[in-house]
Amino acid sequence: MMLLMAGPLIQNDLLRRLEQLELLARRRVRSSLKGERRSKARGQSVEFADHRNYVAGDDLRYLDWNLFGRLDRLFLKLYEEERELPLSIFLDASESMTFGKPVKFDFARQVAAAMGYVALCGFDRVTVDVFPENTEETAIRQSLRRVRGKKSALQFFRNLGQLNAGGDCRLNEALKKGALQAKQSGVAIVISDFMDPEGYEEGLRALLGRGFQVQVLMVLAREELEPSVYGDLKVVDSENSSTQEVTFGKYRLKAYQKTVNAYLEQFKNFCRMRGIGFNLTPSDSDLDQLLLTDLRKAMLWK
Amino acid sequence: MNFLNTSAFWFALALPVVVVFYLLKRKRKVQVVASSMLWKKFLAETQASAPFQRLRHHWLLIFQLLMLALAVIALGRPFFAGEVSKGGLLVVIMDTSASMQSVDVSPSRMDVAKQNAKDLIDTLGNSDQMMILAAGRQTQVLQSATSEKNALKRAIDTIQVSDTSTYLLDAFKLAQTLTKNQEYAEVHLFSDGAASDLNEFEPEDLNVHYHPIGSRGHNVGIVSMDVRPNPDDASTRAIFAGIVNYSTNRQDVIVELKWKDQVIEARPLALEPGSTDSQAFIAPQEENGIFTLQLNAEDDLSVDNQASVVSLLPKPVRTLLVTRGNRFLEKALNATRNIELAVADQYTESSPEADLVVLDDVIPLTWPAGNVLAIHVTSTNWFPEVSAVESPIIVDWKAAHPMMRFVQLDDVQIAESLGVKTPDWAMSVVESTTTPLILAGEPDGRRAVWVGFDTLQSTWPLRVSFPIFIANAVAWLNPSTAQAAMVNVRTGDALVATIDEEESAGILKMELPNGESADLETVPDSSQVVFGDTSKQGVYRLLNGTNEVWFASNLIDPSESDNGPRTELNLGGFNQTALEGQQRANLEMWRWLLFAALCVLMFEWWYYHKRTA
Repeated sequence: MMLLMAGPLIQNDLLRRLEQLELLARRRVRSSLKGERRSKARGQSVEFADHRNYVAGDDLRYLDWNLFGRLDRLFLKLYEEERELPLSIFLDASESMTFGKPVKFDFARQVAAAMGYVALCGFDRVTVDVFPENTEETAIRQSLRRVRGKKSALQFFRNLGQLNAGGDCRLNEALKKGALQAKQSGVAIVISDFMDPEGYEEGLRALLGRGFQVQVLMVLAREELEPSVYGDLKVVDSENSSTQEVTFGKYRLKAYQKTVNAYLEQFKNFCRMRGIGFNLTPSDSDLDQLLLTDLRKAMLWK
Repeated sequence: MNFLNTSAFWFALALPVVVVFYLLKRKRKVQVVASSMLWKKFLAETQASAPFQRLRHHWLLIFQLLMLALAVIALGRPFFAGEVSKGGLLVVIMDTSASMQSVDVSPSRMDVAKQNAKDLIDTLGNSDQMMILAAGRQTQVLQSATSEKNALKRAIDTIQVSDTSTYLLDAFKLAQTLTKNQEYAEVHLFSDGAASDLNEFEPEDLNVHYHPIGSRGHNVGIVSMDVRPNPDDASTRAIFAGIVNYSTNRQDVIVELKWKDQVIEARPLALEPGSTDSQAFIAPQEENGIFTLQLNAEDDLSVDNQASVVSLLPKPVRTLLVTRGNRFLEKALNATRNIELAVADQYTESSPEADLVVLDDVIPLTWPAGNVLAIHVTSTNWFPEVSAVESPIIVDWKAAHPMMRFVQLDDVQIAESLGVKTPDWAMSVVESTTTPLILAGEPDGRRAVWVGFDTLQSTWPLRVSFPIFIANAVAWLNPSTAQAAMVNVRTGDALVATIDEEESAGILKMELPNGESADLETVPDSSQVVFGDTSKQGVYRLLNGTNEVWFASNLIDPSESDNGPRTELNLGGFNQTALEGQQRANLEMWRWLLFAALCVLMFEWWYYHKRTA
């Protein structure tokens, strides 16, 4: 197999195992470009789909001679057209993703790289939509769009590795824009910490409305789940610099976790009701475990 | 409102310290987080709405200041003088009777009463005055009216519990006198309520507060003891004792009879709750001595577990009957046990010496010096005036008097009697509608019984009651009986000893039950010495040169032995006023202030955590 210089993003042996995976589409793809996925369109492939009556002008090569012999009538064999499955990865590169140990953004782009690689191996088109916009990285971000083919993987990884995170999240805006811009719907994966005060509902609805099969991957730092800083705190928000005075102690940890769990539960419910796949993964969790076990279970790929 | 401890206000200097704490800026650690969204959600769930954010600090400050102020005021020990602000007089009556020795409350009822009295002293206002009375056999004023609390407490400390019965009547009467012209007065009684003499007391408008002491009645006690000649065998003595269990469960006790401190008999007794056990012991006696009963029982009150009786050997009563002829009387006297009877028709100075002279309607030439049974004669100095009463009808007799034991006078008619008024020295034993018929008393230091009518002018000699009465009278007039009564007294009663002036050594010595001794000075030209301090139970010995006289002082009081605390006292015979345990109204308030401070502290704690939640 080809050995990619994946750099620090993904270990080679993981890549090798990823190559064996295949993205699962719950519906037949609607892409207009040829690929390796079954689609509703009829065309050229080896998969027989249906018969229809011959009309003058049809290609004689597709006549079913066996039927003609038995019924003395001319039928044409139809084959399924195989099209590509576009994979859109919405990658949150806001300031809040720069936190955590390991940094949430690093973890997020590793996951993005792995998913992209799975799609590339499956000859599917991959678009990584990085938000919020960053004018300095326009070129890199542009080159992460509509990547296809396994040969592009090295460049794809390199581009991912060069991304920098910063700025306000604005998740809804980014997802809505992505939904509008997509030429074909397909699988949409949203990788973010979903730490946007404005919420996530609108953006996810927009993706669903466009016909995407949406998978949510929530990346949180361990510190956000179980804060270890106690005492009289002045909490400063990294994105909008708003401050909040908190007196926090070990005895209040449970109350905090209750709040977080309630928030997550609400999110999960939102997703479950709309057929959105949901995965919560702390940034210090095992990448192999996530990719090879958890996402498999989530029926993202097999 | 007054303050007992104004120096505590120095603690108010702590108030500015709290303000300084708030002037100091609170240092917060700056913590940059990815997003404060979760924190805000977290705070929103436990925090009050935002508008009070700025005020909150002040509220906490105010709470803390309030709490501290309350604590400081509490330390100042404020109290409301209440209704006695005009300045009232409090009379404290401390019961020092034997039952206050009970140890059902630790260390003893007396100590608890003292402590309660001291607590009461602490509640005195500046304008209040208090005086302290110790109600023993004699009521003592331990501290005259004063506002000086230390002096009052010292007076309380000097109180000693005695072995006497409860005598609250005198103390109440004294208190009534003392508070008569006071604008506001209270009488505070610290007692266990074992008082039997208060029925005669009319409290009128006396403001009495009763502080009951004691928690339970758990006692076995000797409530009666008597030594008599054994009717079956004149050489032995019969000792009768009544033992009562006043506790609520069965008591197993051992009662020991001692003769001159030697145990001569011991009996185990099982006493049911509330039951009385009468025991009779027979013991030989060859000389004068002391019988002591000792009760080995584990109870709260030990003083009634012992009783002593001085028993003197009976001597024949030398009796001189002076009569013009009265066969009934002579026969009745002859039938009396233990008597040496002589009969004469006139009493003169040369008459034979007699312990007892019976004057039957004969006016003696000289009045006998010893005990006298005077029938239808009077000594000139006994009554101021004497009249005659026709056919007096007997309406009442004192059945409890030893002379009237087993004597019934229902069927006695009298033709004529002398009419007198009951003098101070005697008590009326038998009464008619107009005049006392039989008087008994002790004029001029000897015993005398006066019968106002001629027995031959009545149907009495024909009745059974006549010889019984004569026998009783001889027994009562027997000088040794009188002596026995004098040597066996109740605790608190004075000991009276007759001494020969020639034999007197000038200074006599009295040995007390606790081993100490006291000197007694004889009064010139007096044949008696009196010793008053008999508040301790036990045997007293009077040493007069080589002579020795024993006295026994006993509690022997069922109402003291029944030491269960009474929660109310009955005052007045008919118009009963129950005194219940009461507390003085003007209590100190520091407890409530401290409680309020604690509440504020807890509220503040809750508020703080609500704020920082």
